[in-house]
Amino acid sequence: MAGTLVEKSRKRDLRFGLMLTAPSVIIILMLLGYPMGYAIFMSFHQWNDKLGADHQFIGLNNYGQLITDPAVWAAMERTAYFSVITVVGGVALAVIIAILLNRKFRGRTLARVLLLVPWAVPPVVNGIMWKLIFDGSVGIVNTILRSLGLIKENIQWLADPTAAMNILIFAETWKLLPFLCLLMLAALQGIPESIYRAAAIDGADAWNTFWRITLPNIRGPLMFALIVQSMWSLKVFDTIYVLSGGSGGPVSGTTTINFLDYITTFSNLDRGYGSAMAVGIMLLVLIVSAFWIFVFGGFSRKRREANG
Amino acid sequence: METSRATNKALSRRNLFQLGGIAAGALTLAGCSTTSPQTTSGTLQSSGKPSGQISILDDNTNMVFKNSTIKAFEQKTGIKVATYQQGNFNDLHDKMATMFAAQDSSFDVVMTWAGWSAEFGQAGWLEELTKSDVPTDLIQPALDAVSWRGKIYGLPKFVSVQTMFWNKDLYTKAGADPAAAPANWDEFVQTAKKLTSGDQFGYACDMGNPAGAYQNFLRMLLLSGGQMYDADYNPTFASDAGVEGLTKLVELLQVHKVMDPSSLQITNASDLADLFARGKTGSVFNWPFQFAVATASTSKLTKDTLGNGLIPGISVRSASIDGSEGFAINKYSKNKQAALAWLQFVTTGDVQMQIVEKEGWFPVSKTVLNDPAAIAALPVLTTYKESTKYVTKRYGTPWDNEFDLALSVQVINAMNGKTSPKDALTTAQKTAQDLVKKYLKS
Repeated sequence: MAGTLVEKSRKRDLRFGLMLTAPSVIIILMLLGYPMGYAIFMSFHQWNDKLGADHQFIGLNNYGQLITDPAVWAAMERTAYFSVITVVGGVALAVIIAILLNRKFRGRTLARVLLLVPWAVPPVVNGIMWKLIFDGSVGIVNTILRSLGLIKENIQWLADPTAAMNILIFAETWKLLPFLCLLMLAALQGIPESIYRAAAIDGADAWNTFWRITLPNIRGPLMFALIVQSMWSLKVFDTIYVLSGGSGGPVSGTTTINFLDYITTFSNLDRGYGSAMAVGIMLLVLIVSAFWIFVFGGFSRKRREANG
Repeated sequence: METSRATNKALSRRNLFQLGGIAAGALTLAGCSTTSPQTTSGTLQSSGKPSGQISILDDNTNMVFKNSTIKAFEQKTGIKVATYQQGNFNDLHDKMATMFAAQDSSFDVVMTWAGWSAEFGQAGWLEELTKSDVPTDLIQPALDAVSWRGKIYGLPKFVSVQTMFWNKDLYTKAGADPAAAPANWDEFVQTAKKLTSGDQFGYACDMGNPAGAYQNFLRMLLLSGGQMYDADYNPTFASDAGVEGLTKLVELLQVHKVMDPSSLQITNASDLADLFARGKTGSVFNWPFQFAVATASTSKLTKDTLGNGLIPGISVRSASIDGSEGFAINKYSKNKQAALAWLQFVTTGDVQMQIVEKEGWFPVSKTVLNDPAAIAALPVLTTYKESTKYVTKRYGTPWDNEFDLALSVQVINAMNGKTSPKDALTTAQKTAQDLVKKYLKS
C-alpha cells in the first residue's frame, strides 16, 4: 500500500516536473526547431527569390549541387586551412600561455588581466582594428616595416588573397585566445599540486610532467575547447565581413564555407541552396565534434586499459 | 491516514500550479501565434488624398531629408513620417532582403538604385508604379535607375554620374596644365606619370570589393567604346573594346605604375574621396560628392585648387558610369499611397535644389538642372551637363551580386598579373551568360 502510494506520488512528481518545464521546452523547440525545420524544408525546394514566388520541390537537387559546386570546394579548402590553424594552433597556444600564467612570477595578476583585453573588444571593432592596422596606405604595420627598412614600398596586405587569409587567422586567434587560455588556466588550477611534487621526487622531466600529468588531467576541458573552437572556426563570419568589406575577398580569398552560405542566401537571394549549405555546415560541425569526442574517448580508454 | 491527508493537500497545491502552468503555456503559445508575418498589404490607388504615416529606410548618403525635407513633407501633406532610419549602403541590401523575405511592412519606403530596382523588382518585392505616378520633369537617366525591363519600381532622389577630379596644385608642381582635364587617355597617362613620385600617385580608384571592381571595369569598357550587354542582354564585354579597356587599367598599375596600389583594397567611394582630399593623389574618377569632400575644411584642397572635368576617353571622347539613387515602395507596405506621396515630394524643385546646394548631388529635375542658381552652387553641374552628350551606363540587373563577384575575381587576377585581360573577360563572360540564362529564361 505504502509502496503504491510512493509510486503514484513519484509519477505525479514526474508529471508535475514535466508540466513545469513544458513551456520552456516548447519555446526552445520553437526557437531552435522551427528555423532548423524550415531551413531543411527550404533546402528541398527551388527557393531563389529572384526566380519568382513559385518554389518547386526539387528533392535532393540542392544537395547534389553542393557536391559538384567548385565554389563550395574552394570555400571548404579555405575553411580547412583556417580551422586547422585556429583550432589546433589556437588551443596549443592557449595551453602554453596558460601553463606560463599558472607559474608564480611577479606581475602574474596583471598579465592575467591583460590577457582578457582582446575578449573585451567587440568582434566588429576587432575587425575594423585589424583592417586599419594592415591598411595599405595608412596602416601601422607598413609604417613600422618601412621605418625598420624592411620594405621600401607599402605592402597591400588586404589586396592579396593569401595575405588576407593569414591576417584573418591572426585576428581571429587574437580574439579567441583569452577564452581558451582562461579555460585552460582553470583546468590547470584543478590539478593537485601534490601530483607534481610526487613527479618531481620521481625525477620526471618537464616534458614527461606535461605529457603524463598535465595533459591527461586537462583532457576534459581540452576536448571542450577543441569542440567549441571548431564550431567557432567553421562558423567564422564577423571578422571576414569587416576585413573584406562584406565581400569575402580579395578574389574570394577569405570566403569560408559559412561566408559563402551568407553570400548565397542574402546576397544572391538563393535561400533554397543556401539552406542546403547551412544543413551541410551543421552536419560538418556535428562530424567534427564527434571526431574530437572519438579521439578523446579513445585516449581515455587507452589510459584506463594501460592502468589495468 | 495523516500521510494521505498531507498528500491530498500537496496535490491540490500542485493542481493549482498545474493549472497556472497550463494557463501560462497557453498564453505564451497564443502570443507566439500572433507574431507570424502579415501577408496582407495595401494597394496603390491613384485617387484619394493620401494620409496616415509612413516609415522610410534610407542609406546615409543624404542628411537633407532628416534635417528639413521630412518636416516640409509633413507640413504640406499632413502625412507623418513615423520613422526615418539610415544605414550604411553596404549593409542595406541584406537588411532589405531579409525584410522583404519576411513580408515585413516595417518600412513603407526603401532606398533603391539600378541594381536593387532590378533585383528586388524582379523578386516582386517593390511596388510597380504607373506612368501617371511619375512626374514629367524627370531626367531619363535618373528614371533608369529605378526601372527594370520597362517597369518602373520607384522615383529617383538624385542623379550621380562620375566625373574626373584633379588636384591643381599637384598639376602645377608637375608642370601639367591645371586648367583643363586631359583630352584623351594617352594625355591622362602622361600627366599621371608626371604626378607620380614616391608615395604620391597620379591616380587612385576603389576596386577593393566586387561592386568597385565592376564599376572600374565598366568605366574602362565604356571609355573604349564597348558595352556590357546587347539589347537582348547577351553579354558582350569580352570584346576587343573590353580587353582594351581592362588592359589600359592593368597598365596603370603594372606598367606605368601611376595607380596607388591601395586602390585594390579601397572598398568604397567615400574612402577614395578621403584619400584624394588628403592631397597626395593627382586625380580620381568619382561621384559628385567628391566636390564637397575635397572642398571641406578638413581637406588639403579648396574650390580653387580642385579641378573637375570629363573623364578622358580611350576610343571615344568620354563616357561615364551612373550611380543615381531613388526611393521605392515596399510591396508589403500598408500605406502605399502615402509612400508614393513621399517619392513624388522628393522629386520636387525645392527638395532637389537643396540636394544640389547642401549635398552636392545632381538633380533629377530638368528645371533645377537648368537653373543658374544650381550651377552657381555646384560648379560640377557644368561637367555633368557636358557628360550627357556621351554614354553613361550602369546596367543594373537582378544578377548583379553574383556577377560582380565573379567579374571581380577575374579583374583583380588580371590586375595582379595572374591572368591576361582577355582570359579574365572570357571567363567572366561565360559566367554572365549562365546568369542571364538563369534569370531571364522566362
